[in-house]
Amino acid sequence: MTASQITFGMADLAARLDACSPDELDALEFGVIGFDADTNVALYNAFESQAAGLSPQRVLGQPLFTNVAPCMNNFMVAQRFDDARDDGTVLDATIDYVLTLRMRPIKVALRLLARPNGRFRYVLVERQAPRA
Amino acid sequence: MLDTADSAGLSGEHEALMQFLYLAPVGLVQTDAAGDVAMLNPIAAQLLMPLSLDGSLENLFRALEGVAPELRHLCASHGAPSGKICDGHLLHLNAGKPPARAPQVLSLTLLKLDGERLMAVLSDVTEQLRRERQLRRSDAWLNAILTGIADYALVGLDADGRIRDWNPSVARLTGHGPEVAGQPCSIFHPRDAITPEHLQDRLREADADGWTLDEGRRLRADGSTFWGSAMIAPLPDRAALPGIPDSEGAAYCLILRDISDKRDAVESRRRAHFADYLTGLANRRAFFEAAGLELERSLAAPRPTALVVIDADHFKTINDSHGHPGGDAVLQHLAGLMLQAFREVDMVARIGGEEFAVLLPSTGIDQALEAAERLRALVAGTPALFDGAAIGYTISAGVAVAPDGAGGIDGLMRQADRALYAAKRAGRNRVEYARPAPAEALRKLEAVNAR
Repeated sequence: MTASQITFGMADLAARLDACSPDELDALEFGVIGFDADTNVALYNAFESQAAGLSPQRVLGQPLFTNVAPCMNNFMVAQRFDDARDDGTVLDATIDYVLTLRMRPIKVALRLLARPNGRFRYVLVERQAPRA
Repeated sequence: MLDTADSAGLSGEHEALMQFLYLAPVGLVQTDAAGDVAMLNPIAAQLLMPLSLDGSLENLFRALEGVAPELRHLCASHGAPSGKICDGHLLHLNAGKPPARAPQVLSLTLLKLDGERLMAVLSDVTEQLRRERQLRRSDAWLNAILTGIADYALVGLDADGRIRDWNPSVARLTGHGPEVAGQPCSIFHPRDAITPEHLQDRLREADADGWTLDEGRRLRADGSTFWGSAMIAPLPDRAALPGIPDSEGAAYCLILRDISDKRDAVESRRRAHFADYLTGLANRRAFFEAAGLELERSLAAPRPTALVVIDADHFKTINDSHGHPGGDAVLQHLAGLMLQAFREVDMVARIGGEEFAVLLPSTGIDQALEAAERLRALVAGTPALFDGAAIGYTISAGVAVAPDGAGGIDGLMRQADRALYAAKRAGRNRVEYARPAPAEALRKLEAVNAR
């Protein structure tokens, strides 16, 4: 499967992203932030880098919820990753959220993905009008 | 004209500045005069998103409406062309047990830059406040020991809180003679300001902590009142014989002091933190603190606690036809009627824009419904006066009772809100009550709310 066939809403997405190369992730039309078991950012694709105005080298290796995306450090996002890890369950949830990309409030859909044995956990960002 | 090296340097600096703002450990928001958000940083979104009722952060006032309905008014009534509108204004967020990671109290500072721009700084001060509260307790304790030593009454109480023996200090402070012996020490409180259960709570707290201290209006024998500070401490003999109260000696001592001269300072601090700016009633923060405490105590000493939630009917229409000052006049009028309809011991509070709540300690459903109905009828028959016009209005009320403290204020509030909703649906100007939900249904509801 080529990257262009991967969409924000498709099923079984965490496994597909685990298999993508950095170049393939950069070709995606939505933001991808992948992070490891210690919540350090391991993947930061071109779409997200462009939207946030931060180059990957400022972000890679940094703890996601404190140093990269503190706006998600609450019970709506960060806590759900913690809970999924503690319970050993799969997390796949899509929520409406507001990100502060370049300090502007931007409505987005966030898809939160975690699997007990997955390579990375993911926050995916799609800019869009909120779903009804 | 920039050469390439300069331009690369500038964009590097720009990115570093951006990251500086992304990572600043306080929330920063810039809005226009109407509160529409122009810029905000991630911590601001982290703190505001869980509060926003509609999931959007387009307007700061709207995002904070549920917890700080006063902001729009505060900003609009700030006369100076620029300057601080509020500094460290505290916003009390969660009713009871908050979800993990959720702050309970935010501090908000608002700065007016000019006619078009506001800057807001938000931070989570939950932990800081907890520490301050402990310090305040220690302060109160030191005050009680060290100041005004000449002016106090010292009274021995029996195991049930009844006055054991009279002495001249009682007469000096309260004017009561020896006939007070044998009466519960709640005779020093104004009528309706304390329930028998509250007195027992205080004795239990004294047993647990070694002492208990509170301040409030107190009553002299001639019916006049003063601002008093009262400390109750168990007596050592009793502590030495746990479970066997000495039938001869006093079980507790009560030290009552007249601190009316210090009252102004205490009262202004209380008003700043715990009173609603518009109506003078308790604010949301004071209400949930007091309600949480009351239900916690009723868990230890089971008794029913009633909650009445009240909403002014068609309030938007009142605002539309009389303007916001007219709406404010109605809210102030309603607050005055609420104070008439309920007892002094009842906690009457404004918890949202046109939402009010009353907590009635040691009160069952019949008495609570009666009080709510009394208020409903009073409001329906007493229009508010504003600008020479009489504004008639009505209220809807939802009543719920917790047989004991289980479920906390959140559970009780949900039931009362459901009853209020039923009252609205049934045509308004009504009082409805919540039948206690079966445990199973309640658990399902909690599971839904937790999602």
